[in-house]
Amino acid sequence: MAYLTQPDYVKYICSCGQLKPITSLYFCRHCLKIRCGFCICHEVDSHYCANCLENMPSSEARLKKNRCSSCFDCPSCFHTLSTRATMAQPRQVVQDPAAGGDTKVESKQPKKMYYLSCFNCRWTSRDVGIPDQPVASGGWPERTNPHAARVNQLLDYYKAIALQEKQEKIERERKKFNIRGKYITLTDKTGLTGAMARNIAGLPSSESSSSAIASFVPSQATEEVEELPEDIFTKEVNLNQITSMPQRLASPEWQPSSVSRLHPLAKLLSVKRSQRCRACDHNLTKPEYNPGSIKFKIELLAYYHVPEVKIISHEPVKPGGKSALLLKLTNPTGHEMQLRLLQPEDIPPPEEKEEPKSIEKSLERSLNLEKDTTSLKPIEVTCEQPATSRVSAPDVTLTLAQRDDAAEYDDDAQHDTNDIIMWRKSNKLALRLEVVTDEGAEGGAPAVAKVALQYSYRNTVPPAAAAATPRDHTLYTTVLLDLGTVSSN
Amino acid sequence: MSHNVKILPGATVCEDCTLEGDITIGGGTVIHPRVTIIAEGGPIIIAEYCIIEEYSTIIHKKSDKQENPPKPLFIGAHNVFEVGCKLESPCGHIGESNVFECRSFVGVDVKIGSGCVIGAACRLTAPQTLADNTVIWGSEHHVREALEKQPSQLLQLDFLSKVMPNYHRLRKPNVHKRQPSTRQSQESSPKP
Repeated sequence: MAYLTQPDYVKYICSCGQLKPITSLYFCRHCLKIRCGFCICHEVDSHYCANCLENMPSSEARLKKNRCSSCFDCPSCFHTLSTRATMAQPRQVVQDPAAGGDTKVESKQPKKMYYLSCFNCRWTSRDVGIPDQPVASGGWPERTNPHAARVNQLLDYYKAIALQEKQEKIERERKKFNIRGKYITLTDKTGLTGAMARNIAGLPSSESSSSAIASFVPSQATEEVEELPEDIFTKEVNLNQITSMPQRLASPEWQPSSVSRLHPLAKLLSVKRSQRCRACDHNLTKPEYNPGSIKFKIELLAYYHVPEVKIISHEPVKPGGKSALLLKLTNPTGHEMQLRLLQPEDIPPPEEKEEPKSIEKSLERSLNLEKDTTSLKPIEVTCEQPATSRVSAPDVTLTLAQRDDAAEYDDDAQHDTNDIIMWRKSNKLALRLEVVTDEGAEGGAPAVAKVALQYSYRNTVPPAAAAATPRDHTLYTTVLLDLGTVSSN
Repeated sequence: MSHNVKILPGATVCEDCTLEGDITIGGGTVIHPRVTIIAEGGPIIIAEYCIIEEYSTIIHKKSDKQENPPKPLFIGAHNVFEVGCKLESPCGHIGESNVFECRSFVGVDVKIGSGCVIGAACRLTAPQTLADNTVIWGSEHHVREALEKQPSQLLQLDFLSKVMPNYHRLRKPNVHKRQPSTRQSQESSPKP
């Protein structure tokens, strides 16, 4: 973990040019490149309710408007509501005292009743007059949208239009390629008309869709607006009775203006996402399906593959001066790693490997005509981040041992130190480096040092596919170090 | 030091708490260990069925315009002071069925009605009067008005007064008040 609540002192340059801390980067093992949230595809894996952890297929989620049917949020503070039980005495028939004491007194058992309550702001469903429920979950009265009819009408209308346009497109295509093949189509043979075929297939006939379009009445703007109440400017405002904007916007169908009209909000569903590399279409992360699990089936995070750089300490940065910088490097992989520090401009440009145009590729491309591949292609930008300081990189190759969880318990740090390496402990290494700052750096400006890392990486992707490709790679990454501000003298 | 502390029968007061000055603790009230109650500016009267949890502090502060005889700080019945809350009030009266949530702070010159909730970590420092059933919550101190008073904690009180003697040394009730209340007679200690 880099720094949880502190600013990100060390930032890596993603292959798309974004600056990100190592904890929010991914590493594609197939392209061998660092990826970030901006240059990958995000996909929805599954919908679930974060409160009751119930899984829901996406079709059902759409039907329920992406809301859970049994959990509610507080309409006042948006915290999750909890169900509370009370013992309620069932209402007894009021007996006439004049009738005497001989009427038998009903001794009914107190019944358990449930209401919703918020532990954060103490809002309860009783506050707005929702009656208590005899069952613990469900059965809460649902308010109907006052505009439900109109919304449905609009939905039908747009569906009809979409259908019509689709049909028109098909018609046009058919006319374009109106070359009769040598095959006799089913419609020719049997005399089946298009309408009948559609009927058999269970599709709505074209007539019904056109009727939906014909009967649709568009909305009309009106100049006459409801007058404001007389006492709007004179009545004293009681802010406790009026809802806030977030409270109103949380229920867009009703937008209650008074607190007494607040109604429990059905809890919004959460989604599990999986990430996919845009360049090679391989999954970068894939969560487990079970909503209760926070583990991943595939988890290609940069934190597990790219050497981690941490700043131990540094001397204040002065213009034109040299200052010491102590860094800690960590090898998170299970293989030994060769590391070199370079100047950012010394990184060799990536070799443009033009893929041999195989038939397979072109076939694939022809199949993918539908989706516009140009927009999906990751944009590779070299980051031109100005750096005030440069790290004078020593020309030595450092060897970092593989990660060994058992070594955590070993205390003895190996002391093969020299003028660069301060100490070494299992897969970690502390370096003493020198930072040279530009003469022209202004005092008070943020001091940023830039350094490139060259590291060896052993790919452990399934060996069958990797048989032809080399397993060991030399990769490069650029790191920006935040060294505070340039001191002014 | 604590000879001025009057504990009415039925109250559960742990020994491990700081009680200074003229303090009266009503029957049925439970005071957890490590509670600090200091009556330096005048007497503090705590009514029945309050819960005062660990590390809460109630101070009746000395003020410049001290009246003579000093005005007591009266804390109504069924108040709940949750863990670590602080109340510094020289002025008069706190209603009943209030909840002071964890680490809340109520400064001087705050008058509190009945059925109010001071949310966790909320700080009231400006002079103000809270109307009945006011709820203050969140880091932005949102204010809301509840429809009804907070439900009383009688079940919790019952449990605490049963369990507390098993694990803590208690201060003995030192005042025997003869009251015609039925509740009081049920819980009164077997003192003559």
